[in-house]
Amino acid sequence: MARLFSILLILCFAFPYSGLAKIVDETEIDEKVREIAKTLRCTVCQTENIWESGAPLAHQMRDAVRERVIQGQSAEEIREYFHSRYGDYIMMEPPKHGMNWLIWLAPFILLLGGGILLWREVKRWVTRSPKPEAKVSPPLDEKSQRRIQQELNL
Amino acid sequence: MTRTTQITILIVLLGLLSLFYQGLWGDPRHIPPILIGTKAPIFEGPDVESGEPLSSKKYQGKVILVNFWASWCQECKVEHNNLLKLYDEFKDHPEFIMLGINYQDEMPKARAYLKQYGSSFPHVRDVKGALAIDFGVYGVPETFVIDQKGVIRHKWIGPIVGDVYTNLTNKILTPLLNKSAPTI
Repeated sequence: MARLFSILLILCFAFPYSGLAKIVDETEIDEKVREIAKTLRCTVCQTENIWESGAPLAHQMRDAVRERVIQGQSAEEIREYFHSRYGDYIMMEPPKHGMNWLIWLAPFILLLGGGILLWREVKRWVTRSPKPEAKVSPPLDEKSQRRIQQELNL
Repeated sequence: MTRTTQITILIVLLGLLSLFYQGLWGDPRHIPPILIGTKAPIFEGPDVESGEPLSSKKYQGKVILVNFWASWCQECKVEHNNLLKLYDEFKDHPEFIMLGINYQDEMPKARAYLKQYGSSFPHVRDVKGALAIDFGVYGVPETFVIDQKGVIRHKWIGPIVGDVYTNLTNKILTPLLNKSAPTI
């Protein structure tokens, strides 16, 4: 009886834990697939990644990512595989080499160039503007002078 | 700001804008294929008509023309007669092999298509789209030429019609089968 009770106890604890372990594993795979798929561009869509795209090719690419994740390939290996098939075009984030540097640096170059131009223009505008003349009050007439004098003498 | 500086800035800005436009909304069909000059993937799958497994391994050492197609693809219908003609032209050469790869399709529809439009060379079914991804395919039709060493020597996106057909047969297949470099 005690033996049967022990077996039942073990089964009670073992089953829920094995089930939980499976759910956790699947979630990890899903997360990894999503993380990788979001970095790969759908090659038949425009500016959409394969995770968000509804195109059949994107769906097949997601499956290919999942298969490779299950096989134990790293995110970098999977990205490299897709890159070797489609080139830079498939990467949502263009790899930093060659002409791609232009994409990475252009915003900073434009910001810096724009800033310099703006500063130069403002400086030139300030130097070119005529200086306001000092206000010289017109001389007081005799009547006003007398009036002021009277007021002061009071 | 001088006039020259203004024009230079305008040209730089327009250049950057066109690059961004091309990058974001450009047609991927015009992107130069990176697989040219690389080893072709070895592929296998069920034969569309017989269902028997078919592998490209058994054709190693031959010039293989691979054509991706689908029954729902209009441009595939446009080129189909030319593909049959091309196969007839080269089929007697001992080093020539032609394979179709049926892409994103349903087996009954693919079979009906081949029955309706004719079939003279074998077709492999790309069950999960894995073959298409291996070949870096964007859509159908797409045609690849693999040389005797298993290297991809040519890729064409779109139907094989008109000058494309002539260039493919005269400037790529004929020189490769004569063991010389393609002239394109």
